[in-house]
Amino acid sequence: MKTLGLWALRILAAAILLPVGYQKLIGDEMSVMLFDTLGMEPHGRIIIGVVEIIAALLLLSPLAATGALLVVAVMLGAIIAHVTVLGVEVGGDGGRLLAMLATVFVSGTTVLVALRHQLPIIGHTLDRTGDERLP
Amino acid sequence: MTSGNATGSTSGFRHLETRLTVNLDRASRTANVALILALGASFVLGLYVSFYFHFLTVVLLLTNAVNFYWRHLQVRHTLLANYGFLAQVRYLLESVGPEFRQYLFANDSEERPFSRNERAEVYRKAKGIDSSGAFGTQRDLATGFATLRHSFFPAEASQASSFQVSFGDQRDCPHPYTAGHPVFISAMSYGSLGQKAVRALARGARKAGIPMNTGEGGHPKHHLAEGADLIFQMGTAKFGVRTEDGQLDDERLEALSAHDQVKMVEIKLSQGAKPGKGGLLPKEKISEEIAELRGVPRDRDVVSPAFHPECVDPASTVAFIRRVQEVSGLPVGIKFCLGRDSELRELVQEMRSQDVFPDWITVDGAEGGTGAAPRSFMDGVGLPLFQALPTVQKILTEEGATDRTRILASGKLIDARRQLVAMAMGASATYTARGFMLALGCIQALQCNQNTCPVGITTHDPALQRGLDIEEKSERVARYARALCREQGELLAAMGVRSRPELDLSTVHLPTLNGAGS
Ligand SMILES: Cc1cc2nc3c(=O)[nH]c(=O)nc-3n(C[C@H](O)[C@H](O)[C@H](O)COP(=O)(O)O)c2cc1C
Ligand code: SF4
Repeated sequence: MKTLGLWALRILAAAILLPVGYQKLIGDEMSVMLFDTLGMEPHGRIIIGVVEIIAALLLLSPLAATGALLVVAVMLGAIIAHVTVLGVEVGGDGGRLLAMLATVFVSGTTVLVALRHQLPIIGHTLDRTGDERLP
Repeated sequence: MTSGNATGSTSGFRHLETRLTVNLDRASRTANVALILALGASFVLGLYVSFYFHFLTVVLLLTNAVNFYWRHLQVRHTLLANYGFLAQVRYLLESVGPEFRQYLFANDSEERPFSRNERAEVYRKAKGIDSSGAFGTQRDLATGFATLRHSFFPAEASQASSFQVSFGDQRDCPHPYTAGHPVFISAMSYGSLGQKAVRALARGARKAGIPMNTGEGGHPKHHLAEGADLIFQMGTAKFGVRTEDGQLDDERLEALSAHDQVKMVEIKLSQGAKPGKGGLLPKEKISEEIAELRGVPRDRDVVSPAFHPECVDPASTVAFIRRVQEVSGLPVGIKFCLGRDSELRELVQEMRSQDVFPDWITVDGAEGGTGAAPRSFMDGVGLPLFQALPTVQKILTEEGATDRTRILASGKLIDARRQLVAMAMGASATYTARGFMLALGCIQALQCNQNTCPVGITTHDPALQRGLDIEEKSERVARYARALCREQGELLAAMGVRSRPELDLSTVHLPTLNGAGS
């Protein structure tokens, strides 16, 4: 049940992220506008686009924990962008972008928390069982 | 590695580890604050200079979140709780592969006093993790390593169980005591240990149903609060039961013995790490409360005398044992590290002639641990446990004392194998001090005497004790004790041993001639 729920969230986040990342890479009008406002055209747009696609793919792989960490990181950046520069409504979308962002952020965080012990290096310090190392 | 440079690399490792933890102490406080400041700075830069800085902001945000979890939310990792993310550096060093580590540090079986393998085994027991290995032993079994002799015809696992042991039943003691398992927590005073460590040990002892020795730390206030069965230790300074001039105060001993939890009294004659030298508590470690519980001043090291003023020869020593037995009404034992065989024989003969025997004799090996002792004494005085035990057993047998007293043993008895070897040599039960310190999370940083223990065990610094969660660590103490008993049961089954008398010298293999071995 838990695994099933997690899979649903993983697929949901990936399904949103993949097209969003792809749009950034091909330089879709809206993306260019956003990154222009942030002063990150074009490099920031491309970097974020690539990271989003990698994160989405990792989310669907056995490295989902790492993927979720990337997702959360990118979404945190996006939240900062909305709070400090962009505002709630972007290009008169009625907050649609922000809603999508929130969805991905929440699913990413949930997956990250659930799978935190699978993270490389620090995973074992975040889990309550299965720690084989020195104290 | 040859033994020559093995010593070199061991001390090299110790240096590195000490340096690491000492630096950690100061560096980590700065680093944890710096991490937060960096986050703020990065955010401002992102706001006013370039949004690209927010890449850094996000990384720092996540790092701060994890760091907060380590320091304030989790309770499993004392080091992370005390130091935060800088302690992670240590984990990284610990986790690099054995191949790599060999060039940097001592290898898995070399660190002293307890090798990484030996420590890891205790940690696993304490955390309740399966401890199977693969491919075979890493020990060099051919040299000086005592092993157990199994039987062609093992017992059913359920038939063999670890043995319970009684005290005071060999005379008409008014309050005899029976311990359910032959695994006891050895003397460590409140003073050498911090308050939280004492609490965690005492609570763990209660959970596992094993007795705990209070050590020579005076009135056992914190031990009593946790409800464990206690063996009150009377050191040479008699903290907790002393008159002003350092003699035994009968009234105070009687009052203390009246506590329901105080089950037995142990008179400490000497200790393996510093035989012939009294206890030592450095002044850095004397808090207000400790000074009060012991009845001593705070401004200088507390040095206990090397012997009890009441015990100057065999006759007065035996008379003193009788006095403590009569005043306390409890089973009374003595603890010593063996020096000269002839002296022990005289003492036992004196017991015979006065018809007074201690209810048990604790034999502490020279390899025993200590909170603080001169190195010359740790290294150079006293007999190691596996040399001393057979001698003590032999003398007791020859003097016809085996049905009047029992033997307890201590000295690196941190695993079931060594415990059973000691029991085969005549011990009725085993004590360990450092085994339980490791279970509490001791990383063998070897600074127990400096009040800077990085995992909060042998320190009174509240900042260092903060990371030691009493409930969590008491579970580990209990799990470690239970795992030892379970492992004893498994080994006894393999040895085909079903009852206490079957466990004798014929069931162990001692490789070197004079009964040595480790
Ligand atoms: C921190 C520490 C404090 C100790 N305090 C005492 C003490 O107060 N009285 C005593 O008789 N032995 C004391 N000991 C010695 C132990 O009780 C025990 O005899 C010795 O460490 C051997 O056991 P081990 O090798 O399992 O640690 C202390 C040992 C340690 C490590
Ligand atoms: S108790 Fe603390 S100071 Fe002593 S060896 Fe262990 S970790 Fe080091």
